[in-house]
Amino acid sequence: MPEMIKESKSKKILSIIGKAAVYLIMGIFAFMTLYPIFWLIMNSFKTTREFQVSQLALPKSPTLQNYVGAWQIGDFSLLFPNSILYTLGATVGIIFLSLLAGFAFAKLKSKATKPIYNSFIMGILLTTQTLMIPLFLEVNLLGIYNTRFAVLLVYIGAGLPIGIYLSTEYIRAIPSAVVESARIDGAGFFRIFLSIIVPMSVPVATTLAILNITNTWNEFALINILVSKTELKSLPLGIYKFSGSLSSDYGKQFAALTIGMVPMLAFYIIFRKQITKGVAAGAIKG
Amino acid sequence: MSSTLSAPFWGVFMTYSSKSYIEEKRAYWAMILPAFTIYLLVMAFPIVLSIVLSVSNYSGGKMFGGEKWGFAGFDAYLRVFRDPWFWNALKNNIYIVLVSVFGQLPLGFIFAYFIYARIVKAPEFWQGVLYVPNIISVIVVGLLWQTIFSPHGPIAEVINSIRVREFQNQVRGIFNAAGGFSLSDDVIQKILDLVGPSGQAIFSDPLIDLRDLLSSFHGEPIEEVYNALGNLFVQKWSPTFLTKSNIAMLPILFVILWMYTGMYLILFLANMQKIDVQIVESARIDGANEGQVMRYIILPALSGTIVNAAILAISGSLSSFALVFAMTGGGPSRVTEILSIYMYNNAFLGRPNFPLANAISLIMVLISFGLILLTKAVEKRYGGKEE
Amino acid sequence: MKKALLVFLTLMMVLGAVVAQEKVTLNVLNYQQADQAGYQEDVAIWEKFQKENPDIKLNIEVLFSEPYHQKLQVYAAAGTLPDVFYVWPTSRSAIIHEKKLAKDLSKLLGPDYLKDFSGAATDPNNQLGKYLAMLPQAFTYTSVMFVNKKLLTDNGFDLPKTYDDLKRMVWKLKAKGINVIMLPNKDGWPMQSCLFSTVLGRMAGDDFVDAILAGKAKFTDKPFVDSLKVIDNLYKDGIMAREDNQVGYGEGPGLFVSGKAAIYIDGDWRAGAYITDKASGKALIPPAAQEKDFVLLPFPAIPGEVNPGVLSGIAGTGWAISASIPSGSAKEKAAVKLFKYLYSEEVQSIRYSTGSYVPTRKNVKANVEPLVAKVPQFYADNPKVCYVFDGMFDPAVYNVLNDGLIAIGLGTATPEKVAADVQKAFETWKASAK
Repeated sequence: MPEMIKESKSKKILSIIGKAAVYLIMGIFAFMTLYPIFWLIMNSFKTTREFQVSQLALPKSPTLQNYVGAWQIGDFSLLFPNSILYTLGATVGIIFLSLLAGFAFAKLKSKATKPIYNSFIMGILLTTQTLMIPLFLEVNLLGIYNTRFAVLLVYIGAGLPIGIYLSTEYIRAIPSAVVESARIDGAGFFRIFLSIIVPMSVPVATTLAILNITNTWNEFALINILVSKTELKSLPLGIYKFSGSLSSDYGKQFAALTIGMVPMLAFYIIFRKQITKGVAAGAIKG
Repeated sequence: MSSTLSAPFWGVFMTYSSKSYIEEKRAYWAMILPAFTIYLLVMAFPIVLSIVLSVSNYSGGKMFGGEKWGFAGFDAYLRVFRDPWFWNALKNNIYIVLVSVFGQLPLGFIFAYFIYARIVKAPEFWQGVLYVPNIISVIVVGLLWQTIFSPHGPIAEVINSIRVREFQNQVRGIFNAAGGFSLSDDVIQKILDLVGPSGQAIFSDPLIDLRDLLSSFHGEPIEEVYNALGNLFVQKWSPTFLTKSNIAMLPILFVILWMYTGMYLILFLANMQKIDVQIVESARIDGANEGQVMRYIILPALSGTIVNAAILAISGSLSSFALVFAMTGGGPSRVTEILSIYMYNNAFLGRPNFPLANAISLIMVLISFGLILLTKAVEKRYGGKEE
Repeated sequence: MKKALLVFLTLMMVLGAVVAQEKVTLNVLNYQQADQAGYQEDVAIWEKFQKENPDIKLNIEVLFSEPYHQKLQVYAAAGTLPDVFYVWPTSRSAIIHEKKLAKDLSKLLGPDYLKDFSGAATDPNNQLGKYLAMLPQAFTYTSVMFVNKKLLTDNGFDLPKTYDDLKRMVWKLKAKGINVIMLPNKDGWPMQSCLFSTVLGRMAGDDFVDAILAGKAKFTDKPFVDSLKVIDNLYKDGIMAREDNQVGYGEGPGLFVSGKAAIYIDGDWRAGAYITDKASGKALIPPAAQEKDFVLLPFPAIPGEVNPGVLSGIAGTGWAISASIPSGSAKEKAAVKLFKYLYSEEVQSIRYSTGSYVPTRKNVKANVEPLVAKVPQFYADNPKVCYVFDGMFDPAVYNVLNDGLIAIGLGTATPEKVAADVQKAFETWKASAK
């Protein structure tokens, strides 16, 4: 692994100045990352009145009141499970369907590939704001307004274009001989997919997971259009209840924002090794 | 496949091949249709409706079964192109694309390489800390932004105290020249000259008023006099640079660079770790230096990843909305407006203009499509060494 | 067997329909900010109605800020508006008014019911569609001076009555690091809505605005330019600080109570920001000090004004009933019942006491903190109102003015230039609206 690259060698090539510059930029980035998190968490323990008077000082008498209030008012106990369901459901759905279609596009011959594949690429470029009104009309028409199904459907549909693009490109690089020899051994396409393609696609699947998990977790514009019942909503909608420019209760707002951020932070800290290893796994030799 | 086979085997393979052909077709559609159906439902209808609305005269209200509306030509597109604010927003978007492609990508690559090659200490820590901004809610970034750049925030405090000290030194010079604290006409006139006409505007009669003020201190303690003069005449710092077009985008671009570089860092780092270490090692044994390893091994191995990252960056930065909305809302005076906010304001703020809003979003799609084709072309020309 | 099941099922469905018919379902779109004072009370208001009316089932959707506006727009496009919904009287909810998506309340409720509300609230001319699409819960003055009387007295000043009174305060207060007037204007709308509209009303009057709308006057005419010059002078004379144009709206109250300014200009709704917060029991200004040390005043007389004493005011937000509910239906009856409950003395008194607003319903009594109690008195003392600029013009026009006022504040644009820009924006908007 990388430790084999001798430190002494790299030192020769890279001047100390260059190294210092990198440390400086990384240091600035790190500070910009850690300070806002610190600032947010610190302020979540202040009362609003205290925040209004001093926004940068440490809390004088830290209080948990904000968390209690925000948790209740935001209905977070209802929203939390939903957020987890939507995030996991959409991510798994996107990965599975993308790999499936990607395999077909990359390894099965059809004249339909070109037009269909290109139409998926178009979808990478649409902005969320464009989708809002048409999607609402549509879910009403289909009678799936106010259902978890609609939310998952839309999240998967919105994530598919980039998912299919990356999967197809990735699976194309898998040597066709692998598929052909399995065919000659008499394996069906679905068996090839499950027993050969899926295991080899862990890297692209991990990439898709990284892209989709944070996106879905923070999404609020589409789900706001798709549901009206509180018991179907997700965390960002709960957090948004606290964030107006006329806001009068910053304390609860900061508590709500912290509640929204911590799960993602925990997720990343727990899985960070798997994330990089996942992308590196099952390497296709270049 | 079967055409190369000799005649005796031909018959056997015919049946196998056609069976196989049907099976392949079936599998193909079974694999594509689930994704394609969902995609059509979620994305195709909005695209079609968007195209229809952009050339219509629909003006709000019930879309189907309400007031009648119909084809109105391409007026909306013409209006978009004629609107100087469109070009302003496009320009800002192009800045974001440039920062994404030529900022986030190279920086993410360099960071990734430094961590990969263990050139920096504690690579695990850096990897973590550089990725985390992706997770922070844009609402937090926006709020913190306001607090830090407030005229009552930390930056203002530092700059104001420097300005005050500078001014007070000048006043001290005037007093010292007069041999200490003095209320002579000459001293007061010198202070008034120092602050200029805009500083004098706060008085109805500058000479008398300023003498009144200074005499109220009786010259003791002198620090209070300096404080009062500082309060009166030193122009407080405020982030006025944020109101100037071009400059106002800089902080936003910086935040975008900070927030999303980590995403590419992870993509690049992971793909670097995929490279067979033995290849790198043997190259080094053969005497390749760091630059050669980078050029002949790492870059070619990552060219596909780089292109994908570029496409992600282009599409992401053209449709970006939430971060800029939270930081500036496109303001002040629309100088930081980007296409998605320009579109949003036409669709959801006040009286909606649906044809215009949809024309804008379709123009956005076309622009990113063009940029992606360009990226692909560049890849074909210079990349593709990995195959 | 199968047939029997089918018959049974059909029977059940018919029965179900009969039972269901007795219970009316109302879809409601509520606007509610979870961290605003009065949130708990609002929740209780809805629970009470549900409890007292078991025959009406409420499906309440609660939204706030941009998500609310997005959803309302989307509902309007799909033609599936909720039965009872919260709405703006101005262009922010333009679709509702212009496409007449809400019932005319003057017909639905009748003069007998509406006579209990202030004339300003029931005047259809105060709404964009010129009919009573909604009933404003409040009529707000967007221009109030919150004055720290104690701070002025300590420095030897009386309450200001003229522009010169303000100017006289400048150097004495500034030497101590205190600004005379604070008006945080980073967000652009506060200056336009909370001060400029009043200045325009004083210097030019509503007739002038009407003339502009009718194409008989221009923004480049003298009265409008002069109004902008008043703002320009406020900064030039040092009464207001240029850096306030970079201060966010949310920061204002904290800075004001920490003594950074003697006077704070805002809408009357901001009184609620200073009173006791129910959750923490703390107040930015304790009730005793609200009573003794603070007063609400109109902006002082301006040299050259033609309408002395007028202040900008506007109909506030309120509830509307969807036009798609059939007349005379059970649903309409239920909607009206809910509507009347929301406007009842009982509910309005709760809203008044939380400092949300002063109700347009007449004679609503509540136990309120001193600063809030001063608001209705302020109304009585200053009965003459004029237009609020952003209530009269499209965002395409008032956004240009907002930006121009910031530029004047920063000293980067002249009043003449801003007037020309606004006129241009107005002409462009007029051309495109046809």
